[in-house]
Amino acid sequence: MTTAQNDMPEVLIVGSGAGGAMAAYELTRNGHKVLLLEAGRDYDPKKETPMFKRNGDAPLLGAATPDKDFGFYDATIDGGWQVPNEPYTSAEGSEFMWWRARMLGGRTNHWGRYALRFSEHDFKGKSRDGLGADWPFEYKDIAPWYDKTEALVGVCGTNTGLDDMPPSPDGVLQPPPQPRVPELLVAAAAKKLGIPAVPMHRAVLTRPLDNRAACFYATPCGHGCSIGAAFQTTTSLLPMAKATGLLEIRTDAMVKTVTTDDQGQVRGVSYIDKKTGAEHSVTARVVILAASACESARLLLNSKTAKHPQGLANSSGQVGKNLMDSTGANIGALVPALQGRPIYNEDGHTANHLFIPWWGHQAQAEKKLDFPRGYHFELGGRFGEPGANIDTSLQGYGKDLKQQVKHKYGAYVSFALRGEMLPNPDCYLDIDPEVKDKWGIPVARFHWKWSEHELKQIAHGLKTAKEILTLMGAEVGELPPPEQAILKGGQIIHEVGTTRMGASKTDSVTNQWGQSWDCPNLFVMDGGVFASNPHKNCTLTIMTLAMRNSSWLSAQLKQGAL
Amino acid sequence: MSHKPEQGAALQPYQTNMSRRQSLKLMAALAASGMLPALSGCDTAPPATKTAAPTGALTEAHWPDLNLPPLTGPGYGTDPNLILPPESPWPLTLTPAQLGLLALVADILVPREGAVPSASEVGVPTVLDEWVSAPYPRQQQDRITVLSALAWLDDEATMRFGSRFAALTRPQQLAIIDDIAFDTAETKPQFQRMAKAFALLRGLVVAAFFATPEGTKDIGYVGNTAIGGDYPGPTPAAKAHLDKILSELGLQEFAWKA
Repeated sequence: MTTAQNDMPEVLIVGSGAGGAMAAYELTRNGHKVLLLEAGRDYDPKKETPMFKRNGDAPLLGAATPDKDFGFYDATIDGGWQVPNEPYTSAEGSEFMWWRARMLGGRTNHWGRYALRFSEHDFKGKSRDGLGADWPFEYKDIAPWYDKTEALVGVCGTNTGLDDMPPSPDGVLQPPPQPRVPELLVAAAAKKLGIPAVPMHRAVLTRPLDNRAACFYATPCGHGCSIGAAFQTTTSLLPMAKATGLLEIRTDAMVKTVTTDDQGQVRGVSYIDKKTGAEHSVTARVVILAASACESARLLLNSKTAKHPQGLANSSGQVGKNLMDSTGANIGALVPALQGRPIYNEDGHTANHLFIPWWGHQAQAEKKLDFPRGYHFELGGRFGEPGANIDTSLQGYGKDLKQQVKHKYGAYVSFALRGEMLPNPDCYLDIDPEVKDKWGIPVARFHWKWSEHELKQIAHGLKTAKEILTLMGAEVGELPPPEQAILKGGQIIHEVGTTRMGASKTDSVTNQWGQSWDCPNLFVMDGGVFASNPHKNCTLTIMTLAMRNSSWLSAQLKQGAL
Repeated sequence: MSHKPEQGAALQPYQTNMSRRQSLKLMAALAASGMLPALSGCDTAPPATKTAAPTGALTEAHWPDLNLPPLTGPGYGTDPNLILPPESPWPLTLTPAQLGLLALVADILVPREGAVPSASEVGVPTVLDEWVSAPYPRQQQDRITVLSALAWLDDEATMRFGSRFAALTRPQQLAIIDDIAFDTAETKPQFQRMAKAFALLRGLVVAAFFATPEGTKDIGYVGNTAIGGDYPGPTPAAKAHLDKILSELGLQEFAWKA
């Protein structure tokens, strides 16, 4: 079935998460007719978010299960580390975890909302240390787009003046919430070591914006946010784009291939209506892939034809390559000084008010560190809502037992390291030659191996966190070796790089506008285009690039260039 | 029959009174399961020392090798209703005898304290029944541990005192609990395995208790309530405590400034 010509959208977008929804917003705002395909079901956070629900009201006290990997109330629908009927595989000796969601808005419905700008330092790593790849633009080229994205999305935080945190113009950032006691204790201990702790930048409103309310400091953002305070595309960009009358959204539409004509030019996509199992074709002047880094790469590799024998847009051979996640490791300890402290409401915006940004640029420049790229610490520990944390270290019974629990309450502090990894030839995805999903689409196969760079970085992070915890009076014990401590590839859910942008078509998949070198009317606007993976979490930059590149695309369309 | 020993409180059958889980279906299931044997541990694996005279003396190591078929039913799926969580997402599997013993042990762990109810009063055994009956890998693993721990208690009670745990006097019950409730260097070798199993059971009971409205109030959690305007941050008392510990840790000069 082919959509009739007069209904033909100008632009077809695959995916409704950070990149796809921003592209839909920017393009419809500029008068372009857009059809957006989403593989998951329709989702309305206003009706479906479990606001104020208690863990005790959920099955298993809200505990994580294979059906709901981040707990019962997590916003993710039909997803997590496995999606029903849609497997992926790992090559022998590799282990990679791939988080997906099958819902309108994708992973923006549950993400951590940490929204830190990359800096010139981040964009030009290769020029500095010879490793990985530079991005094909300067910080100053993208800074105005960060400004616009932050203002649209709503980001709370401050301009810290630190070299790892480029400033936003006055009035862009919303005020951050007050820090809480465990964060303030960490900040003091860190400062004694010369390490800063500053307000996190978070895509959570502390002031109303458009028709979204300010945060009321309750109910975890990972559950979704019915009042729109915590940013997700389903309460912001998608309704705004729909209000133009130029956006059509089709959910349960699983794209199978990007279709091309006999000359190899991109025509549209072919998708499966998951409700009926029927396959449909749609055409458009331009196709934008924003299905997530790995899904878009899979799609391109599965779209190979005689004209594109290595897969679509893959004359460079780079599609699926350069797969990166953030490094991750966790360390924590009971802090005796925090035991029995006065209780107050420590929910806040339910994530970091303070965090520790990367402080080691100078030490790296002076070659004092044995790893090339930075990391940050996210801080955990507060009077949380009781739930399914099963503490098997308790002793005894009766009144003494309850006293132990109360004494420990709010006294455990944890550090979550999130670091930059470098691309390496062992980390990539290709298409599994055997396995297909329920829809008959060949699945992604992952290959993964951390390099020494990441392991040395983790070792440094663990040692540093231990020093801070020790200054706080905690007993940390012996540190695990980094090979053991480092989390699995994909586990931080910051996978990027598989359709990277660059300055040359020989070693990159797209130009700086996310436009395929091989097919000018094919764009990628998800994390796949990242040339490197700075430690600062990818979503803000995915949105910023999607806005900038959709604006450029709009100008091209208006000039008749495509 | 000579003097009857003072009996443990939980010879009364455990009855759930927890709001979400209070359902006719559940009560019907409990009634129906009364047909089932009490504890598979005693039925399938008689302890080696069963014939020894119950003297109250310490026993040797023993462990009930339960033969538990896996629970293979569906979970709540990848798209459950989050606004109205399922009342009873899978069939509960504990027998009334197991629930009764669990209630007794849960109340030894978390007894009533003044106006604060005990674990069984707020439905903790039912939460644990839901936990050990869940078809997920972690819970299936915990099911073996929890049911083994319950069976062990009856085996130990029978060997040591000649009756099931629930029929023992409170001092007899506590004599056994004292041997297994502290997993330390002093834990006797024959109790070490049970001490670890008991630690899981205790962790589950404690988590389930504090996640009830009464338990959450008891621990003092005051969040999950909407705040108008800016988040106020620490209270004066919390700030004063922070200042005190910063000073004690020699960190006062490094105190965070906005």
